[in-house]
Amino acid sequence: MTAPTRKQQRRQVVLLRPVPGRTVIHDLWAGTKLIVVAAIGVLLTFYPGWVPIGAVAALVLATMRLARIPRGVLPSIPRWLWFLLALGGVTAALSGGSPVIELFGLDLGLGGLLKFLRITALSIVLLALGGMVSWTTNVAEVAPAVAKLGRPLRRLRIPVDEWAVTLALALRAFPMLIDEFRTLYAARSLRPRSVLTTRRARRRRWALEAVDLIAAAVIVALRRADEMGDAITARGGAGQISAAPSGPKRLDWVALSVVALVCGAALALELTLLGTT
Amino acid sequence: MAALCAATAIIAVVVPFAAGISLLGTVPMGLLVYRFRIRVLIAATVAGATIAFLIAGMGGFMTVINCAYIGLLIGLILRRGRGTFTVLGVGLVAGAVFGAAVVAALAILVRLRHLIFESMTANVDGIAAFMAGLPNWRWLPDMEASAERLRSGFATALNYWPYLLGGWSVIIITVVMLMGWWALSQVINRLVVIPDVHKLDSAPDTATIAPVPVRLTDVRFRYPESDHEALGPVTLSIEPGEHVAVTGPNGSGKTTLMLMLAGREPSSGTVDRPGSVGLGRLGGTAVILQHPESQVLGTRVADDVVWGLPPGTETDVHRLLTEVGLDGLAERDTGGLSGGELQRLAVAAALAREPSLLIADEVTSMVDQEGRDGLLAVLSGLTDHHQMSLVHITHYNDEADSADRAIDLTGGDGDSDNTEMVETTEAPAAKGVLKPRREAPVLELIDVNHEYGSGTPWATEALRDINFAVHEGDGVLIHGLNGSGKSTLAWIMAGLAEPTSGSCLLDGVPASDQVGAVAISFQAARLQLLRSRVDLEVASAAGFSPRDRARVIKALAAVGLDATLADRRIDQLSGGQMRRVVLAGLLARSPRALILDEPLAGLDGASARGLLRLLENLRRNEGLTVIVISHDFTGLEDLCPRILHLQDGVLATAPTAAGGMA
Repeated sequence: MTAPTRKQQRRQVVLLRPVPGRTVIHDLWAGTKLIVVAAIGVLLTFYPGWVPIGAVAALVLATMRLARIPRGVLPSIPRWLWFLLALGGVTAALSGGSPVIELFGLDLGLGGLLKFLRITALSIVLLALGGMVSWTTNVAEVAPAVAKLGRPLRRLRIPVDEWAVTLALALRAFPMLIDEFRTLYAARSLRPRSVLTTRRARRRRWALEAVDLIAAAVIVALRRADEMGDAITARGGAGQISAAPSGPKRLDWVALSVVALVCGAALALELTLLGTT
Repeated sequence: MAALCAATAIIAVVVPFAAGISLLGTVPMGLLVYRFRIRVLIAATVAGATIAFLIAGMGGFMTVINCAYIGLLIGLILRRGRGTFTVLGVGLVAGAVFGAAVVAALAILVRLRHLIFESMTANVDGIAAFMAGLPNWRWLPDMEASAERLRSGFATALNYWPYLLGGWSVIIITVVMLMGWWALSQVINRLVVIPDVHKLDSAPDTATIAPVPVRLTDVRFRYPESDHEALGPVTLSIEPGEHVAVTGPNGSGKTTLMLMLAGREPSSGTVDRPGSVGLGRLGGTAVILQHPESQVLGTRVADDVVWGLPPGTETDVHRLLTEVGLDGLAERDTGGLSGGELQRLAVAAALAREPSLLIADEVTSMVDQEGRDGLLAVLSGLTDHHQMSLVHITHYNDEADSADRAIDLTGGDGDSDNTEMVETTEAPAAKGVLKPRREAPVLELIDVNHEYGSGTPWATEALRDINFAVHEGDGVLIHGLNGSGKSTLAWIMAGLAEPTSGSCLLDGVPASDQVGAVAISFQAARLQLLRSRVDLEVASAAGFSPRDRARVIKALAAVGLDATLADRRIDQLSGGQMRRVVLAGLLARSPRALILDEPLAGLDGASARGLLRLLENLRRNEGLTVIVISHDFTGLEDLCPRILHLQDGVLATAPTAAGGMA
């Protein structure tokens, strides 16, 4: 993944590489992280109230602390996104609605703003949750974890092992293909732009260029696949994908119980005392 | 089967990106269904969706699922050879099904739906309130009435949300299907000519595994649909415990001989061995191939050693890694290894199978000098420590010396120009670095530093305090090992990347403001050929009309290519021809300078010399400024009289020792 990208004033996006360091969170089994993310995802889509959002946000912040994740991991947010957020906030605030608070003799309806804030917070928390997995997990651990988690499905004749091998190979090929796509993109930016006057011609050119790019990407990918296929054949086909056995340890059970406890409490509160209407 | 698995995996990586650029993630998915079975698509979907989830969360996950859904349908339609009307019909139905699924999901997720709808209502109400609050100027229409209309209209629309959402998804899915179908049929047209480069095939083994001693008698081989023999006739034998080197130029049948030894049936002649080949099995045959990166299948070094072993096999990973000199690297990511290290890792993975026969097929050709030495040291010790025969196929003549015996395949039917071997050269000392010149330089690098991932925890320094200038008509070789930052330097000089600090000036103006003025030819020539045919490609790269036949032919002639090649499809070209077509396109724009990244990688002796002669002529006669980036020196002395050594991101000012590494 060493090829440079073109012109970047912004922070570069680094994909699928964990934050360096070994912490409790880094040591968790990848399967645990996947279970937690899935469980919280389900909880939040069914009960997107303030209490669950807050509880999960607290969990995420605590985990970030434990995993010593610096602020630098966050991609820089483009200006138009800030603008959109501000616009959404302002229009929602203007709509008013209950609850109404009195400030300096003015009645301020916060209903609209609160709803907007809630949906924004929900999206941020869900994104951060996914981010936590990729910032703390070595990609090499993902495929074995999927294989282990999917073991019960094997009884239903679902080819889980095949999926795990595919996933492992895909993750291995990922950095190589990224490099190749970057080169592809650079090769394109080196070319002179053709001057096209009509919109129709421009659209046509755009479509043809998209097909050219996709075709080049697919051809490159297939060539790479042929070589890797030979390498697999040379090793006598697929089999083991990981040298070290992996599975839940005591730490994982602790983490799972903590998450279950927090989420359970939040859900109980949401349904009884502090429900968001 | 293996190739299929790899194809699936790799397509799965393409999907998230294709989906990112233009809804075209359906194309690779459709291709899988078009070529293979639905089961393959499912595996690809799982892999692609997981990767998309790790990158972009739930949104990415859902995008890949959608792409798979639509890709499945267009792939099936194309396979059946149906037309636009089927696509439209299926699109409507599929859209309705998808819409129903979304509506059902939102019907169950009551709270989420309320939250989304209420939030949207709040935004609309807010806009309405703002409109109503505007003063009632005469030139404005009646704002209050339109605010009221907006509010009530949105409320009514929300009331009928299932129909709106369903209708919307019908339209979107149909449109995306039409686009995807069109794009996929275009892509499939291109793929028709792709030659099948996948070579190895494992026959089901029934007999006991015993690949050596093997005796080849009058073996010939001809690829299907080929009009000449790729190998033979060859008579030879490999005894147990023997180290045999096989030499010969490209096209002499070295790789075909590897296939024969690895179990492929010859067209004529006989191959005798006591048992079966047992490719990749314990005690069988192991093969190490040319490309270091695609050899290695595990993401972590230790995982790669055991990759593919039957479940339950115990392996002493540590001992194997120590034997190939990679001890202590077991937990490292394979992505950070150099070419030489990757190949040694491949040797370790082969040794994990305790093979009776190990075939190394041009394993050093993509590796720098240091890596080559290390790899050869490992290979030459193998037959002493293991019960195995080693067949080392190479086109470097000095590598054959450590073998017990060498077999030369030269003298088949190869043309005489193609029979020379590649010589390896020692690195000459750096020279000409400090020679001052009076005229203004073409390219000038001033205190260039470059860092990847600045401001993130992954920040790594690639270049430090680079200062040099390149003058008109210069020939400069920038030499460095893997990871020395030379590719980064090339990208900066071409204006494709901006240095983190310092400046790279082309005629006094930052190079990144004039992308395209400096031509760069990448190591992977295929990546730079974006059009389907040679004439279209050259015209597009050079910026003139493809109908301008005369200019296309002139551009091809400038790089020594025949005019008949203009109508050839890109994927029917050889590696050397591809590189020349790239150059034709680049040179037709009269660039200020030409940067070549590893221009000779993968070319055999004759093609490499031809290319060098061409470049030398261009530099001498046309005054072209040439900058070559390479880890090799062979034959470059005349083209590049000036040499700069790059080591760990720093330019070595003093002449370095021969070899430039040590």
